[in-house]
Amino acid sequence: MEKVKYLIIGGGIAGTTAAETIPQLDPAGSCAIVSDEPYRLYSRIMLSKPNFFLEKIPFDQIWLKQPEWYTQQNITLIIGKKATALDSAAKIVTLDDGTAIAYDKLLIATGSCVRTWEIKGAEKQNIFYLRTLDHAKQIIAQVKTAQRAIVVGGGFIGFEMCDMLRLAGIDVTLVIREPHFWDPILDQHSGALIEAALEHGGVKIVHNSLIKEVVGKDAAQGVILQNDIVLPTDMIVVGIGTYCPIEWIAGSGIKASRGIITDEYLATSAPDVWAAGDGAEFKDVVLGEQIQLGNWANAQMQGKIAARNMCGAHEQFRLVSFYVTSGFGITIAFAGDIRPSEGREIIARITVDGNSLSRIILKNDRIIGATMINNTKELAVITKLIEKGAPMEHNRDKLLDPLFDLKTLL
Amino acid sequence: MAKIKKIVVDRNLCIGAASCVLSADTVFELDAENKAIIKLKGGVKSQDPAEKTALEDDAVADDTLLTAAQSCPTRAIFLYDEDGKQVYPS
Repeated sequence: MEKVKYLIIGGGIAGTTAAETIPQLDPAGSCAIVSDEPYRLYSRIMLSKPNFFLEKIPFDQIWLKQPEWYTQQNITLIIGKKATALDSAAKIVTLDDGTAIAYDKLLIATGSCVRTWEIKGAEKQNIFYLRTLDHAKQIIAQVKTAQRAIVVGGGFIGFEMCDMLRLAGIDVTLVIREPHFWDPILDQHSGALIEAALEHGGVKIVHNSLIKEVVGKDAAQGVILQNDIVLPTDMIVVGIGTYCPIEWIAGSGIKASRGIITDEYLATSAPDVWAAGDGAEFKDVVLGEQIQLGNWANAQMQGKIAARNMCGAHEQFRLVSFYVTSGFGITIAFAGDIRPSEGREIIARITVDGNSLSRIILKNDRIIGATMINNTKELAVITKLIEKGAPMEHNRDKLLDPLFDLKTLL
Repeated sequence: MAKIKKIVVDRNLCIGAASCVLSADTVFELDAENKAIIKLKGGVKSQDPAEKTALEDDAVADDTLLTAAQSCPTRAIFLYDEDGKQVYPS
């Protein structure tokens, strides 16, 4: 049986950053990455950017590492193979081709998978998801001939796909289940600003709507809404969320909920097993809660810290991460914990013209997160305020005032 | 690897993912527009191409700069060697 000192499941930014970090602390330690995608590290961020989709930048811009980088770093890269079982007592991972790999230290950096549709007709062609490079390649091909598209789901993917499809000159109808875009993460005012931008950009929006069936022969030609209205289409892009693949670790004794549970050192409940990236549901020392986040900076930093701890360090993961996107002349930014959970208080700073706002989310009198529409200029200061964790009991009126300079609270 | 002499951030490509700040926080930070800028001597923050010798942290390892550039999800950081040759993206 093959044996490596450091085994990393997942070849995305979390896993690759971990593999890059290990030799700095343990230059002689052998290291292997297993990826279920047939590719080396690429930019998952670029996948949803119009310039990439519309082939305005060379395709090869997607690669973040050259093949020889792995050899130079002494990393064995095993691609196109999926981990199917973990024996955390014997310290063995089994792959889908039957290969067993023994390890001393294991990192699970498997990211998340797209949630797929379970409605009638969901197996038809021309229904697309966006998570992997192969997904993106399928959409790129379809965009060349499609004239009409339906986008399902009001979130980052829905927003970015609408932008790309409109830039490609395609008629776009966005179907969302909720009464406004990104409900309940965003309030009605924020949702209305995004929808106004989408509609100004030519996107038709259908609210409060579930699609009950996809119609067409082999390929999707339309959808039937719950109210029996039929919308014709040439393609459908579905962005209805993600989940963390945890079936393969069932029976390993590793605690998992929505994601793989870790402590603040990114260690799982099994000895010598760590988790990092979108799939880790980690103890956040800033918030004092278990949280799962899906963004590039979080995954990168977790890969680094997990690797250091795998090499014998004892470092807490501590980061207030954020994600920013823009399109249709509008910018959307999220920082920290934006879940609309119980016990949260939300203060909305709305500019006089109403065109931009920051919603500051407090828990136990401290800022834990924020959503910003056209207000990215407050992102840095709000991130610092989250890190600082200062009580806000006397500052409610200041937070509410859009003209008040938040920097004075630092 | 050739020695890195010059660092350039393309603001049009930068989306403020902060990966460079996480890799090399003595060199990069995000400005008010959420774009990466370079920290120079004397506390100057610059959007422009910077010589390594002008960095506030002029002793930063080339590997650290390369990691920062390679982790950028939009490949917005360009590194050049002493002959003016582009080291990354290669």
